[in-house]
Amino acid sequence: MDAISTRGLTKQYGHAVRPGLPGRRRAGKALVALDDLAIDVREGEIFGFLGPNGAGKSTTIRLLLGYLHATAGSATVLGFDTERNSVEIRRRVGYLPGGIALYDSLTGERQLDYLGGLSGRPPVRRAELLDRLELSHATLRRPVRDYSRGMRQKIGIIQALQHDPQLAILDEPTEGLDPLMQRAFYEILDDLHAAGRTIFFSSHVLSEVERVCDRVAIIRDGRLVALEEVASLLARRKRLVEMRLGGPAPRLEGVAGVSSVAQTDGRLTCSLEGDVAPFLAAIAGAPITDLTIEPAHLEEAFLEFYADDETLARHRAPAPAEAPAA
Amino acid sequence: MNRTLFVHTLRQNRVRLLIITVAMALWGSLMPIIYAQFGVQFRSMMESGLIPKQFAEFGGGDIFTLPGSIALGFIHPISLILSSVFAVGFTTSAIAGERQRGTLEVLLSRPLPRRVVYATLLVCALLFVAIVMAGFLVGTVVSASINGVASEIDPARIALVWLNGVLLFGAVAAIGLAASVSFDRLSPALGITVAIVIVSYFLEILGSLWPDAERLQPYSLFHYLQPRDVLSGTVAAFNFVLLAIVAAVAIVAALAIFPRRDLAAPS
Repeated sequence: MDAISTRGLTKQYGHAVRPGLPGRRRAGKALVALDDLAIDVREGEIFGFLGPNGAGKSTTIRLLLGYLHATAGSATVLGFDTERNSVEIRRRVGYLPGGIALYDSLTGERQLDYLGGLSGRPPVRRAELLDRLELSHATLRRPVRDYSRGMRQKIGIIQALQHDPQLAILDEPTEGLDPLMQRAFYEILDDLHAAGRTIFFSSHVLSEVERVCDRVAIIRDGRLVALEEVASLLARRKRLVEMRLGGPAPRLEGVAGVSSVAQTDGRLTCSLEGDVAPFLAAIAGAPITDLTIEPAHLEEAFLEFYADDETLARHRAPAPAEAPAA
Repeated sequence: MNRTLFVHTLRQNRVRLLIITVAMALWGSLMPIIYAQFGVQFRSMMESGLIPKQFAEFGGGDIFTLPGSIALGFIHPISLILSSVFAVGFTTSAIAGERQRGTLEVLLSRPLPRRVVYATLLVCALLFVAIVMAGFLVGTVVSASINGVASEIDPARIALVWLNGVLLFGAVAAIGLAASVSFDRLSPALGITVAIVIVSYFLEILGSLWPDAERLQPYSLFHYLQPRDVLSGTVAAFNFVLLAIVAAVAIVAALAIFPRRDLAAPS
């Protein structure tokens, strides 16, 4: 069973243009926040959901948790239909909203007690999470209004994970955390992953998605534009190659995977994509004094998907039924 | 109803509830004092024709009978403001306020059906209104005893006055909660509920002062709060039923609207 599965999930705000209807409804503008989304998140994986602000990430999450009602399509979370069994879903899910708002007048401890009580499940992971995110008991006894942004985010993470949910849906989880706490958070995710929990991870911080996720979906203007393994996405990315030469340049034109070759004053640069063997064979014996191959980053992959519609069309994600098995 | 949410809401409002209840008790205690001290003088002024009849029956109350004094205390703007702290302030901010602050996000991420959230907050609102109304009447009864006029009211009928007050402000509370579940921001929910209360109050007062406007009074919720009639033994069951119907309509509307609403990400 997939942890999350969506089929043709669509959310539209406002009225569509309907020529048969008079007045404002006919003239009204419809905003398509999410269009025909089809993804499957496997149980036990960390799934990255990427896209800039306004792309439809939060809309998707809100549809999954029952805050919004779909205009078309359907979705299941842990086998439960999002429209009919929203309460059962929320019983099993831990959710960290983006830019979480907390009850300012409550202390951190009371906040966690209250939200834990509403969950109806014992906070079995709270002590461990408090320890790993370095929230002391003295801090927990202070009202949340006195907390820094990072401390609020820690409370947000703990309230989402303290009851050890089957599935964690985390919207921009490292927002406001310092690098040390980000690392601690990634370790928590690694442990949850090892324990078989599923994590749906929405972010626009590409480096962290690259660091923690098994697979990634990229969304643009409410449409899914890519859905694949992070590793294969990275493998397909172009690496930037720079070499300094002490003599004639090797002939790279026509070598498989090599493009954008440029040479100036003993310095040669090119892009390298896919298998490196043909490239290494081509430069063997060349008078190279220095060689740098910059590793591919998800950021470049991401930017490519947002570069132009032609790229978008080339990499349009297949429907889940047709998607290759990992 | 959810116990955790109920206890949390009570805890969050306990200080405010205590202050408002004490204030209402003090306000309620003033009515028998005024009646005991000045009731006879006011009656003779009234009988002399110095005061127009309508002035002496402001909003269905008066100051030359104890039931009239109690009714005047109920309909007075001070009582209205104190009662509205929960009937309007609490209810409108209960959902729309949480939504505006963003805290509704974490609340609704728990396994709580929206109808349960609504029902719990409605029970809290009705409980707050009931306690505030009781505060007023306890103050009145204690003060009437101290001033030696307690024999002029039937204690059994006090309970009916309390019920009449609870139904009126309960109906207002139900309207406030219905507005609260319908908006993403506090101001429209508060604005609509305050407007309903003010217009309703204005129609009742205007009708009590100006005979030509009397026909507008049935359109006012306050017209169905009649403590003087209740204390005098002329209970109009219709008043109670109508207020209960208004509350029920608002509750049904809220229960229909809230679960179906889209709750987009807070801006």
